[in-house]
Amino acid sequence: MSTTPVSSAKPGASQARSKTAGRQETIWTVALAALLVVLLAYFYLAVPDFRSLGTSGVLALCEQFLFTGLIALGEAVVVLAGEIDLSTGAMSSLSGILMASLWQQGLNIWLATVLALFAAALGGALNGFLVTRFNVSSLLVTLGTQFIFGSVATAVGGNTPPYNFPRSFVTLVGTGTVGPVPDQLLVFAVVAVAAWLLVARTRYGRSLVLIGYNRAASRYSGIDVRRSLLWAFVASGLLAGMAGIFVSGYYNAARDDIGDSLLLPAITVVVLGGVDIFGGRGRMSGVILATFLLGFLTQGLLIRGDSSLTATMVTGVVLVLCLVLKVALDHRAWAQLRELLRHRVSGMGELRAGRGA
Amino acid sequence: MQRPPAAVAPGARRYEAIGVSKSFDGANVLTDVSVTFEAGQVHTLAGENGAGKSTLLKIMAGVYQPDAGELHLGGERLAGLSPRSAQRRGIYLVPQEPALMGSLSVTENLFLGILRRGRMRTVDWAAMRREASAYLARVGLTVDPDARAEELSIAQQQLLECARALAHRCTTIFFDEPTSPLTAHEAATLFSVMRSLRTDRYSLGFISHRLDEVLQMSDRVTVLRDGRSVLSGDRSALDRASLVTAMVGRELTTRSRARPHLDASGAREVLAVNGLTARPQFEEVSFSVREGEIVGLAGLVGSGRTEIAEAVFGLRPVERGTVRLAGELLAHRNPRACIDAGLVYLPEDRGRHGIFADVDVERNVTAGVIPRLQRWGPLLRPSAERSMAEQATAQTAVRMASLGTLMRSLSGGNQQRAMLARWLLAGPRVAIFDEPTRGVDVGAKDDIYRLIGELAGQGLACLLISSELSELVATCDRAVAVYEGHVVGELQGADVTDANLGALVVGGTPR
Repeated sequence: MSTTPVSSAKPGASQARSKTAGRQETIWTVALAALLVVLLAYFYLAVPDFRSLGTSGVLALCEQFLFTGLIALGEAVVVLAGEIDLSTGAMSSLSGILMASLWQQGLNIWLATVLALFAAALGGALNGFLVTRFNVSSLLVTLGTQFIFGSVATAVGGNTPPYNFPRSFVTLVGTGTVGPVPDQLLVFAVVAVAAWLLVARTRYGRSLVLIGYNRAASRYSGIDVRRSLLWAFVASGLLAGMAGIFVSGYYNAARDDIGDSLLLPAITVVVLGGVDIFGGRGRMSGVILATFLLGFLTQGLLIRGDSSLTATMVTGVVLVLCLVLKVALDHRAWAQLRELLRHRVSGMGELRAGRGA
Repeated sequence: MQRPPAAVAPGARRYEAIGVSKSFDGANVLTDVSVTFEAGQVHTLAGENGAGKSTLLKIMAGVYQPDAGELHLGGERLAGLSPRSAQRRGIYLVPQEPALMGSLSVTENLFLGILRRGRMRTVDWAAMRREASAYLARVGLTVDPDARAEELSIAQQQLLECARALAHRCTTIFFDEPTSPLTAHEAATLFSVMRSLRTDRYSLGFISHRLDEVLQMSDRVTVLRDGRSVLSGDRSALDRASLVTAMVGRELTTRSRARPHLDASGAREVLAVNGLTARPQFEEVSFSVREGEIVGLAGLVGSGRTEIAEAVFGLRPVERGTVRLAGELLAHRNPRACIDAGLVYLPEDRGRHGIFADVDVERNVTAGVIPRLQRWGPLLRPSAERSMAEQATAQTAVRMASLGTLMRSLSGGNQQRAMLARWLLAGPRVAIFDEPTRGVDVGAKDDIYRLIGELAGQGLACLLISSELSELVATCDRAVAVYEGHVVGELQGADVTDANLGALVVGGTPR
């Protein structure tokens, strides 16, 4: 087996299929949208409690999961470039705590918010600096900084972190609505569109995606890889910080551990959204759809009366199914898998036959 | 089991493929191909890239299954062959890129899968070391058997693969384009090993698209074109012209100069490199390129030529030395600054450093000029980008279904044309072409050189790097030779000959 590399250069195979770029991503995005529609239709028709929520009630459900979506948008920027940011959860906690503590010290709450967001961006810049300057894997760097951010949050927050923020703040970033639409959803929409345009339609986004596909070739093409990556981490930190402010507003309290439960769901959303975990391939629209798909799935199940344990498990099942489906869509990966299995099987046959000889 | 290797006197069995066909995703890669490998012969599969040579050998080595056709080994029909069962039957494929376990020792690699056992069924390291030295000596490889495989050069790794075939007692050995990463000297070593194996009645399969090697090494030649066998016969019955015609399917003029020598000594100096030093790769390198001139940078693999080019382009740091572009000093060079100043570099390793394989042609072509893409506010204008890419790909004649086609689905030659299109968009004054025809088939090679000639005709200063001296001779107006990191000579006009350059690049003196 050692002498038979699965050659990436399969001349005939690649020449024949003049594949068009982006087709797969389009299929994936459409599939996610269709799934979301089916899911909502199912809950609406089959779960009376869900139906009785009405439009505003259903929209209000978003407030339960848009924090995750915000983090996921930032995370997606980093993942597209072929890196990962594990410190986003801790960053959310930290920015919430910073905002609350500054406010408690007598600062205007909006000024405190701006400062907290600035700190979050700075934290992201620290991640980016460590990754690009010292060439350390972002997995390791952010694994480390997540503890730093988390412990700083705990230290600053103290035993009883601040709560009971001014009414205007809680309404705007927490529970307020415009008509039936929660403020949070509006803010998320703006950020999501901005993130989508950033990746799909700006010079920076183009550089980022190319870096994700082939970092060396990017360098040889004159793309400033280091600077692009640095800004990706800044974006990730900033959005995580924003999520932290929203969570604090929504619960009307800051907690130093609030972000811990946000990191993995956010990464799940990124992956489910169709972003290749190794960078390059993926679309922001997929991530946005995945936010709602995963969010409504969980909330719908809870409303149906399932335990959160069941909801978590169903989430896991959906994720695994989607990823298997995605591999199946990717003909190349599928062919490789088939070839691999065939070798495994025939190799085992050989082993059995060989034992007698 | 533990016979000493010297006792192996094989006499490989006749190995035939009869009417083999194979398609990948509906595209026929091989159609009804039959070949026979016999003991004591080197049977060469020749043909352009994508002709199906590798696929055929991979089928015969059990990597792929044929869709139709049969494999017969010494009269026995082989079905459901896997790489493992092929090796057990004495068939070994030395892959294009050696597939060794880099962090294991030479000995461990040799005996991977067939570890020698002593009493108590424990691994008998002493016996393996003894045997290993014998196998290594057989292929003329003088390395420490305890060295890690990744410490070996590519050439040594290939010889190790060959020794591995011997350790596995394989008698039919296929070499999949072994010489493409090797220097001429290393290739000669490999050839002498192959010859001695042939004398010992091994059966050898050899893939190459270098005509000289095909003519030099083969006892029998089969030429594949578009997955069909178009010519098969004994070497003695074939000549150069008939082989070329069979490979490309049309008459090809022998490499002659497409353009007359240009004496550019009066033209403006566009690129001036002075005393560039980055030890130990290269030292005190100085040369210049003038407007409209094609200057060859000749040197063996490992002579420092690519390192020099990368340093000029700001991809690697230098200790000292200057690069001037049209008189202006390029200090603190990085690729972006160079591109913006009008200096571009077409990298040698297209797959790793050049193309974005999974990205469409359009974004591949515009990747070098992202800061110059037109915008509307902060947003890119797709239509403007598209027309830019359309124009550039038309100029270099990239053949593709559409601009949305994935780069990886283009042939090597078309990928290279797309790379040229990328750099045309940058509007360069100087272009460094590093092995522009590597991995490009014979027909496309001429096209690429014609294109470079045209660009020079429009005033572009070109620095051309190639290990194929004949390509330099046919293209360059002037040539600079590097040997072990030093510029050792410069040839002008008609003095740029195979013989002169050949002498310089191995550290000799011309004539």
